[in-house]
Amino acid sequence: MIVTVPAEPSTLFPPLLSGTQGAAIVGVLFDRLAEIGDGLETYGDRGFQPRLATSWSWSNDSLSIAFALDSLARWHDGQPVTAEDVRYTFRVYTSDSLVVELRSLLGNIDSVSVRDPRTAIFWFKRRMPRQFYDATYHMYMLPSHLLDTIPMSALESAPFGRHPVGTGRFRFARWEPGQRIEIIADTANSRGRAKLDRVIWSIAPDFGASTVKLFAGEADFLELLRPENLAQVARTPTLRLIDNRALSYGFLGFNFRDRTDPSLPNVMFSDPRVRRALHMAVDRERLVRNVFDSVGMVALAPAPRALIPDTAAFTQVPYNVAAAKALLDSAGWRDSNNDGVRDRDGVPLAFSILIPSSSTSRQRYAVLLQEQYRAIGVQATPQVLENNAWNEATYETHAFDAYLGAYQPSPGLVGLLQTWASRGSSNAGRYDSPAFDALLDSALTTFDPATSRRYWARAFQQIDDDVPAVWLYEQRSPVAINRRFITTPLRADSWFVGLADWRVDPAQRIDRDRIGLGTPP
Amino acid sequence: MILRLLQSVAVVFSAATLAFVLLQLAPGDPTTALGEGITPELRATIRAQYGLDDSLATQYGRWLWSLVRGDWGWSRDQHRPVAAVLADALPRSLFLMGCALIVNVVGGMLIGAWQGARAGSRRDRTTSTALLVLCSLPEFWLALVLLVVFVHQLGWLPATGITDEMSRYMSTRQQFVDRVRHLVLPLTSLSLVGIAVFARYQRDAMQESMTQPFVRTARAKGLTESAVRRQAWRSALLPVITLTGLMLPTLVTGAVFVERVFAWPGMGFAMIRAIEARDYPVVSAGVIVGSAVTALGAALADIAREIADPRLRTP
Repeated sequence: MIVTVPAEPSTLFPPLLSGTQGAAIVGVLFDRLAEIGDGLETYGDRGFQPRLATSWSWSNDSLSIAFALDSLARWHDGQPVTAEDVRYTFRVYTSDSLVVELRSLLGNIDSVSVRDPRTAIFWFKRRMPRQFYDATYHMYMLPSHLLDTIPMSALESAPFGRHPVGTGRFRFARWEPGQRIEIIADTANSRGRAKLDRVIWSIAPDFGASTVKLFAGEADFLELLRPENLAQVARTPTLRLIDNRALSYGFLGFNFRDRTDPSLPNVMFSDPRVRRALHMAVDRERLVRNVFDSVGMVALAPAPRALIPDTAAFTQVPYNVAAAKALLDSAGWRDSNNDGVRDRDGVPLAFSILIPSSSTSRQRYAVLLQEQYRAIGVQATPQVLENNAWNEATYETHAFDAYLGAYQPSPGLVGLLQTWASRGSSNAGRYDSPAFDALLDSALTTFDPATSRRYWARAFQQIDDDVPAVWLYEQRSPVAINRRFITTPLRADSWFVGLADWRVDPAQRIDRDRIGLGTPP
Repeated sequence: MILRLLQSVAVVFSAATLAFVLLQLAPGDPTTALGEGITPELRATIRAQYGLDDSLATQYGRWLWSLVRGDWGWSRDQHRPVAAVLADALPRSLFLMGCALIVNVVGGMLIGAWQGARAGSRRDRTTSTALLVLCSLPEFWLALVLLVVFVHQLGWLPATGITDEMSRYMSTRQQFVDRVRHLVLPLTSLSLVGIAVFARYQRDAMQESMTQPFVRTARAKGLTESAVRRQAWRSALLPVITLTGLMLPTLVTGAVFVERVFAWPGMGFAMIRAIEARDYPVVSAGVIVGSAVTALGAALADIAREIADPRLRTP
């Protein structure tokens, strides 16, 4: 199978993986100790499936978990997987010498010890509902016998990042920079040989080139299709779409502080009535239909539906243009000079919406928002910035009034602490609600699932009422795949989890399916 | 010669310095290029680790010192040495642009000389109009048209890449054919415009050359028309040589748009990626190589002009 990707990964060394590039390759070359279930449940160990660990046991005080490793598990070089590998992996992921994006998520794990060559024990600082998830979801196991002689600070430049050795049902074959990365079935894998002989990630310079490869028949699979390509996929007889619940959501975020002097409140958005009016004036359903058609949904909160415990337990800000106008009137924003734009004390109700140049859907959203805001006398001006400039303006200098952002939260929603809690480091608009912070903390730390669901509902209600942002869309991300492939259901957070069980319909094989594992002539 | 060499070094140094400074002044840095999901703490850690918080002068000094020691630096975006990045991308651009340059020069000279020898005729006017149209076409537009026609509609040629994804599993002969098939569209995109440019220069020079007294003398001496045209053509080579010298840098800088349309992973491809990722060492190295070849191209063009026209030789 040939997968086309619009960018090349930087490395295949799991701890240094950043963003989505390379995640699928690493995900099939390496294994976790246990794999989260399709329901993405993060409480305790419910739903988790054995992977490198065949079983696990909790200590009486729940402050440690002992993982029993599969005695048949082997690295691709034939060496057995040992508990020392697990301990070494934890050391790498938490090393000060490396820049590991996931390190902060491992903060509750105190240490990993080795009981015997087949048993690794995770020790935790506090009892938390997501201890098991913390221990298993973030880390892919690394081969200590190949890496532990390399100083931590030199791991970034070690050849391993370009010639990885894992335990997955696929093994690494080759990486031709700028062109392709090839993996092949690991015939000696204890969990069975992958059903596809090889998967090649064909590297394109951008999304446009990726779609060219797909529609020209040079590639079999493309993730993250854009809405404008869906019709073409439907018209292409060799391709079909598979629905994929992506875990991303998009929003229009407001800056609570002044864009030039953060010690001052934002003259427009510090007033909750203005934010609520700006929410009520947006027909989110129409926007979603316009931009995403049938592959989008209105977002309900700062989380996709798949991760919200109970979507019916909190209410939404209604779409009501008349009420929006009345709210702005009551807040003192009126069109005093009949120029079509409301103003107060000589300040017009006008702001720019920052958009990254890489996102065509957000650019379309900005134009549509501009029109809807014009109807209530608000001047919103879309401002497209090159990606780096956009990142700098939103997350570094906070020099903006409003921005169109998008997040892809992990299961468990622990990322909300970072993105929307008052001290969250990625809280670009500096939304500050002690009530939301408290509810979020309770939801994340409560052991009883029913109680936790209630806290989640209240937390989402709180943030929806505070309107730090207008939750605009949840994007379903159907993938395009050649019809000759028979697939397993895609997991929302990682489409590639079942890749080793995908296969080619024998009746539809083409020449490249018949090569087998043969070596080059 | 020594003066010329020193001038070239100064040009290369200035271009590299300018590229380094301008890129640093652009919004963002390698940490903002990592995207939306990166925490400010992580950005700070990366900045500290790579010395991105240091002053511009300190970073420039560090980069210059590495360069003097022959160390091109480390690509933060690709997690490998800059030299390895260039070693992959450079040969691919040399291959594509080298083929294009040869086709452009040979094709342009043949067409231009043919036109110049018949300047003013109906065939010359028709050809000139066609070349003018080709000259006016943007390469990327031409590339997209070729893609639509020969890939999507006719299905004759592959759309992207240097080779098929399965080329490793082909026989040597199949690999050769595959490579040629992948070359056709990018080469055609570059050559249709390139030939037109070279032909226009060659035609004008040939037309002027045909009116020179030595051509009249040759004819008066009874030389055949083809021999006369050969004499005139040699004299009309100077503009083409100059143009070839100017085109030499494209061998290493690649063709950004064409490489992007056809997913040809050459220097243009590598430089755009590096600029987007704020991968300063790769961009600086690319500029150094590009400006060095520009200086070299100019020097080679001077030498070739002197060979072609003895009157230009310095005593």
